[in-house]
Amino acid sequence: MLDPLLIWLESTALSQWVVASPSLLAFPGILALHAIGMAFAAGLSAMFDLRILGAARSVPLAEFERYLPVLWLGFWVNAVSGVLLLVGYPTKALTNPVFYLKLLLIGVAMTLVARTRRELAEVPADQPGFMPGPSSRLRRMAIVSLVCWTGAITAGRLLAYTYTRLTQYE
Amino acid sequence: MHTLQVWLVSAIGGESAIAEFMRTAWAWPIVESLHFIGLCMLVGAIGAFDLRLLGVARRVPIEAVHRLVPWGILGFVLNVTTGTMFVLTEPDQYIYNPAFHLKLAFILIAGVNANLFYLTSFRQAFGPTPRLDAPRRAKIIAAVSLCAWMTVIVSGRMITFFRPGPCFGEQTSLLLTCDP
Repeated sequence: MLDPLLIWLESTALSQWVVASPSLLAFPGILALHAIGMAFAAGLSAMFDLRILGAARSVPLAEFERYLPVLWLGFWVNAVSGVLLLVGYPTKALTNPVFYLKLLLIGVAMTLVARTRRELAEVPADQPGFMPGPSSRLRRMAIVSLVCWTGAITAGRLLAYTYTRLTQYE
Repeated sequence: MHTLQVWLVSAIGGESAIAEFMRTAWAWPIVESLHFIGLCMLVGAIGAFDLRLLGVARRVPIEAVHRLVPWGILGFVLNVTTGTMFVLTEPDQYIYNPAFHLKLAFILIAGVNANLFYLTSFRQAFGPTPRLDAPRRAKIIAAVSLCAWMTVIVSGRMITFFRPGPCFGEQTSLLLTCDP
């Protein structure tokens, strides 16, 4: 059912470029970008989580949101580079359940980033110097976020080892 | 240098207990995943501090963001450990690999650069009166730090594309980049 789509995708010029171009900017460059985006998205999100769980308490929680644009930039770099990698090897990813698990974990992790920010914004700002500790709900969300990123990174790495078909013709 | 590289590869050998472990099912991918997790901790913490020095989240005291740095060091230790496990298992794949040489060089640059911060700007940045703006020198160090770590990631990712092949003829480069 998926096969016609995969055959078509693999026949596109973009797919052929990603896979077969000898340029370091093609497949190697896209992979490198994907690693950099991961570092900023997962890394800054993990620091946000650790702060909620009690690390670096002197950083005002509400101010941490200044880092979120960089976190989102990392996410979008990875959405774009990830789509390019997917166009390059659609069969490899889409026939592997681990790929869908990875997407799910990233989806949950990024939803938690947005929700955590919203919950922090609801803390009344009319009490300067008043710094309530993060609620147990926020702490639980931080733990789930750390678990999701760990799982997403591991699932991503395992994609190189768990695929059953590389392309339509192999 | 060539002789040193050849000696290193034969001295490491790839037959240690760690190498044996790394050849068991799933050990290599799991250790790779840990290497990526360590990378995220390193760049998350050090990157957050660098960005603060460069002016992001200006209302947060520099000293406060610096509290994240131990998590970055923890990530670095995790990555030196897991990285060493790869080299102990397949020494020739790294010792003769130009991308790995570049990666080590930039880790060294990032390390020297970080120490430069503590030697030259630490007191200014953390002085008795909290500063909103980091001194100019600290900003340059922060920019170098971000660039160096990103280059470490890129060259690390390139290792697999620069695997050494067999040597042909005379080697004239500074480092051996083929498997003799």
